[in-house]
Amino acid sequence: MTDFQPIRFPTTAELNIATSEGVIFRLPLAAPASRLYAMLFDTAIVLGAVNGVGLMVYWLFAKAPGFGFMVITLAEFAVGFAYGALLEGFWNGQTIGKRLFHLRVIDQAGLPLRIEQAWVRNLMRVFDVLPFAYLVGGIAALSSPLMQRFGDRVAGTLVVRQTPLAAPAEEFWTRQKYNSFMDYPTIAMHLRRAASPELASLIQDALRRRNELAPYARREIYRELATYVQCEISPFPDELVEMLSDEQYLINAAGVLFGANGCRAFTVNH
Amino acid sequence: MILDLERFQAQARPRWTRLESLLAALESRPDRRLNPAEAEQLQELYAHTALDLNRVTHGALAHDLRQYLERLVARAYAELYYAPPMASEMWQPHRWLRIFTAFPEAFRRQSRYFALAVLITVLGCALGGLAVRYDPASVDVLLPANYLRNPGQRVHEEEKGLSRRLPSAQTEAAFSAHLITHNIQVALLAAALGVTFGIGTALLLFENGVLLGAVAVRYTQQGFGLFMTAWLLPHGVFEIPSILIAGQAGFYLARLLLRRREDRNVRQSMREWLVLIAGLAMMLVWAGMMEAFFSQHHEPVLPYGFKVAVGTAELALLTIYLLLTGQRKTGAGARVRVPSENK
Repeated sequence: MTDFQPIRFPTTAELNIATSEGVIFRLPLAAPASRLYAMLFDTAIVLGAVNGVGLMVYWLFAKAPGFGFMVITLAEFAVGFAYGALLEGFWNGQTIGKRLFHLRVIDQAGLPLRIEQAWVRNLMRVFDVLPFAYLVGGIAALSSPLMQRFGDRVAGTLVVRQTPLAAPAEEFWTRQKYNSFMDYPTIAMHLRRAASPELASLIQDALRRRNELAPYARREIYRELATYVQCEISPFPDELVEMLSDEQYLINAAGVLFGANGCRAFTVNH
Repeated sequence: MILDLERFQAQARPRWTRLESLLAALESRPDRRLNPAEAEQLQELYAHTALDLNRVTHGALAHDLRQYLERLVARAYAELYYAPPMASEMWQPHRWLRIFTAFPEAFRRQSRYFALAVLITVLGCALGGLAVRYDPASVDVLLPANYLRNPGQRVHEEEKGLSRRLPSAQTEAAFSAHLITHNIQVALLAAALGVTFGIGTALLLFENGVLLGAVAVRYTQQGFGLFMTAWLLPHGVFEIPSILIAGQAGFYLARLLLRRREDRNVRQSMREWLVLIAGLAMMLVWAGMMEAFFSQHHEPVLPYGFKVAVGTAELALLTIYLLLTGQRKTGAGARVRVPSENK
């Protein structure tokens, strides 16, 4: 559509793309472990398919094992290269393993993978796999800011995480009818100003994942977070805090940080 | 600027939903082509959603919303700026048959890298040959396999057919598959080693040349020159050039990586590399079949003179194919420029 080359700048685990419209968006890079799991899964599929075909071929060529060997050798070789190249090229940058682990190969400009890129990155496996178990490719990926093995560097591709995301729903702490922290507007205001984005996200995640945490772990995490907010950020009166559990303390704090009771606005810098 | 996050989401959510639906519909289509109305709608929704993303980008407390919008904008961006190949074009036979002319054209365009590959291999051959000729101690190092050190025993076994366990056609079929896959893998490695800025490719070609030179001199020294020529020529005239072309592809890749920032048409350059690989793979399929089904037959089944004549004819045909097939371009510019994309 255009000759404009988007500017890309990698950070630790993500790729930032700046488009010609001045929009910047981030793409989360796939972690080496998930790539490894996807590759092992794909290898199992290829081996399963080749062995399945092999059994059939041996049965068909029972009286001519030499021809059976020929068919299997050629099929194994062709499937080994074509599996990744064809699936990635025609199936939105994904093999079965990558789809299962929510990974996707894309062009490093943030665009979908092209067929020739899919072939190049898969043919380059002969080098990445050296000397055994993808040692060269693994080291190359770990030492690359974009987590690219040599095949990816040559083809200009990278692997991103592709977890499905829905529009964020309204959180339960924003629906509280009464938030006792709001009785102390000055301290609440201080909390909003002093809490770092990381701390706010941490509180949000801790509350969201309440039911995923073991009771002991939940108690400990909530206690540590509540103590930190109370001691380091904004000390609410002791008589109020003593009446609240750590969990309720964090719910109130989240209500202040994210809630609708007069606190839903935040500053956007332009 | 103060943003009322709840009201902002309530107002914008319908267009995000519309954009999501449109993207889901597009992504599920095999050809992913937009009609004009869809393109207009997508452009409009993309622009608005991108604006929404800009508004929340610096609002660190809307982390989830930002992530969601980024994902949405990334998908829309990909659909807008990516022109996928038409499915109808992809499966047209002439598009695939074009490889038979594209390969020699690419070979000629990148001929200087082929020349470099030939030079390195010849140097290797010279070293291997001279070492075997003037330093008998080097034979054990350069030719570790017994059948290479003692050609007489090998020639005897080959001529008597002692190495065949299965019926001939079956042995040959299995052997040809093994040769094809092994040779393609080695050639691919030579081409892929271009990522080492060509050093790996050069070393592999040199090593190959040393072995070739050493074997040639050893067999000739012991009076089996004709046997060796008849044995190697029918498949070697395809196998050796294909390894040289793999070296050519490797050096071409090294050039691509070294000058990537200057190369404004990376996609075409990659296609050139792929065409060379596809071409040499075809050559190696032929070489594998010839080696298994033809080269392994010796006198008295096949006279050596006949085998040499077949090999020579193959070489002539290959030379004509590589030098004369497809479009011919002259001039220095034609050497490095890749053709414009077929649209």
